[in-house]
Amino acid sequence: VSDATLLVLMSTLSTGLILGAIFALVAAGVTIVYGCVWLPNASNGQFFLLAALVAWSFTDLLGWGSAAATVAVIVLGIVLSLGLEALLIRRLYDVPNRNIAYFVLTLGLTQIMSGIFSLTYGKWSDQFTLPPLVQGITMLGPFPMPNNRLAVLVISFALLAALFLLLRRTSYGRALRAVFQNREAAALRGVNVRGMYKLSFVLGSVIIFLGGVLFALAYSFDLTVAWTMSVTAFAIMIVGGPGSVLGALVVGLVFGFTQAVVSIFASPTAATFSYLAAMLAMLLVKPNGLFNR
Amino acid sequence: MKTLLGTTGGRIGVALALLALALPFVVGDNRFLGFVLGMTLINVLWAAGMNLAYGYVGLMPLMFAGIAGIAGYAMVHLTREGWSFWLATPVAAIGAAVVGVLLGLPSLRLKGFYFTLCSLVIQTVLTLAFIFFPKYTNGDTGLSQIAPPDWFGGQLTGMWLDFVLALIAVGGVVIVALIVRSRLGQRFIAIREDDILAETLGIDVTRNKIIAFFIVSLYAAVGGCFYATYVGFISPRAYDVLVSLNVWLMVAFGGRGTIIGPVIGAAILAPIPYLLQDLQALRDILYGALIILVILALPGGIYGEFLRRRRKGAQADDSAKLADQRV
Repeated sequence: VSDATLLVLMSTLSTGLILGAIFALVAAGVTIVYGCVWLPNASNGQFFLLAALVAWSFTDLLGWGSAAATVAVIVLGIVLSLGLEALLIRRLYDVPNRNIAYFVLTLGLTQIMSGIFSLTYGKWSDQFTLPPLVQGITMLGPFPMPNNRLAVLVISFALLAALFLLLRRTSYGRALRAVFQNREAAALRGVNVRGMYKLSFVLGSVIIFLGGVLFALAYSFDLTVAWTMSVTAFAIMIVGGPGSVLGALVVGLVFGFTQAVVSIFASPTAATFSYLAAMLAMLLVKPNGLFNR
Repeated sequence: MKTLLGTTGGRIGVALALLALALPFVVGDNRFLGFVLGMTLINVLWAAGMNLAYGYVGLMPLMFAGIAGIAGYAMVHLTREGWSFWLATPVAAIGAAVVGVLLGLPSLRLKGFYFTLCSLVIQTVLTLAFIFFPKYTNGDTGLSQIAPPDWFGGQLTGMWLDFVLALIAVGGVVIVALIVRSRLGQRFIAIREDDILAETLGIDVTRNKIIAFFIVSLYAAVGGCFYATYVGFISPRAYDVLVSLNVWLMVAFGGRGTIIGPVIGAAILAPIPYLLQDLQALRDILYGALIILVILALPGGIYGEFLRRRRKGAQADDSAKLADQRV
C-alpha cells in the first residue's frame, strides 16, 4: 500500500470514528428519551448547536479554556433540561398519544431556537471554531493526527462506554430499562415512573449537549449543523430501533463512517440524502428498526 | 339556506365569506394591504385542505408544502411553454396530487408519530430536490418574474386577482364543508376517531385515506400555483417544512375539525409575517411559541374553545331553566 492511499485510509478512519462516536452519542441521547418518556426530540439538533455555540461564546468572548467551557456547557445542559421538564415536558406525561404531541412541541421549540440563533449568532460569523483542548500532533505512521481530535475520540468512546455501563450495571439503568419495557409493571414494582421520566430527559439532553461540544472541539461548525444533526439523529434512531441504545451505537458508527467515506467522493449533503433514504426505507419496511428491543 | 343561517357556525361562516368577497374592493388599490389580503386568502385555502387531513382524517402531512412546490414549479414551466395559467394550474395540481399520493402511499399505513415523521422525511427530500435540481428550479436563487394569470388577452392583477383568490378560498372552504357532511366525510371522521373500529365496520381505511390524501394534495397544489403567480417569485424556501408547519399551526390554533376554526386561524396568523416585515426570525419565534401554546393549553384551538364555553354556557342555562321550573 502506498503512503498516499494509507493517508486517505487513515484520515477516513479517524473522521469516521469521531463522527460515528458523536452521532452515536447524540442518537443515544435521543433514543433514551424516546424509549423512556416517549418524547421524540425533534429539537435535538438545536440542543446540539446551542451547546456548541455556548462553548464558543465562553472561549471566544470570555477567553475561558475549552475544558472549563465544556464543564459550563454540562451545567447549562442540566439546568436547561430541568427547566424545560418543569415548564413544558411534565404537562404531557399522562396524555395517551403523547409522542405526536411531543414531536410537534419540539418542532415548535426548534422554530423558536433557530429564530433566536439567527437573530443573535447569525449576525456574528459564518464559521465558529473552538480552541483545541490539547495542543500538538501525534504521528500515527505517516498520518499526522492532531492530539485534540485524538482527545475528542477518546472522550467520546469513554462516554459511550460509561453510558453503556450506566444502563447495564446500575440500579438506575435497570429501572430505566424496566420503564422502557412496561411502564405499568415498573410502577407496580416500585419504580418512580415520573422520576424516571425526568431523570431520563435530563440524561438524554446532557448527552446531546456533550455531543455538541465534542463536535465543536473537533471541527468548525455553522448554524446549519443543527438541521443536519436532527435529521441524522432521527435516522439513526429509526434505523437502529426507537428506544434501543445498542441500535443507536451500532447505526451511529455506521453512519459516521458513511459520512466520512461519502464526503471523499461527494458532498456531505449526499450523505444526508442517504440517511433520509435509509430512514424512509426502514419506516416503510420495518418501523421497529433493526435492534428491536 | 335556512339551516345554514340557523346555527352560530353557519352565521359566522356566511359572514366571513361575504367579508372575504367584499374585502378586495374595500382594500381597492392599496397594494400593500391588497397583498396581505391575497396571501391570507391563499393561506385560508391551504388551511382548509390541511384541516381535512388533520382535523377530519387525523393525519398530519408535513410534506404539504412540498406538494404545493411541485405544482408551483410545474405551473411556472407550463406557462413558460405558452400554456394559459387556467389550464396549467389544474394540470399541475392534478399531477402534483398524483405525485403526492404516490409519495404518501407507502406511509399511509403508518400511524400517528411514524406517519408524521415519514412525511417530514419526504418534505425534506423534496426541499433538497428543489435545491439540487437547479435545471428546473434555479436552485436557491429561485424563479422570478412569474407572470400574473392571463385573462382574455390581458393580465389579471390587482383588485380583481384578489377577488378571484377570495372566490377560490371561499369555494375551497365550502367544498370541505360539503365533503365533511357527505358519507365520505363521515367515513373520514370514523377513521380519525378509531381506525381499527372503522375497519371492523367495513370501511376500507387505506382506500379512504388515499382519497383524503388526494384531495388534500389538490388543495396544497392549487394554493402552490396561486402562490407562485401572486408573489411572482418562488424558491425552495417558499415551499419548505416551515410552511407546512405554519399551515398546520393555522388549523390547530384556529380549531381542528371545525369549518370556521382554520379560517380564523389563517386570518389571524397569515398577515403576521408581513406586518413584521424583515424580521423573519421574529416570526419563527412567535409561531414556535404559538405551537407550544396550542399543544399545551389550547388543544381544541380558539374556535374549539369558544364552542366548548358556549356549550357549557348553554348547559348552565338549561339547568337554570330546569331549576326555575322546579320552583
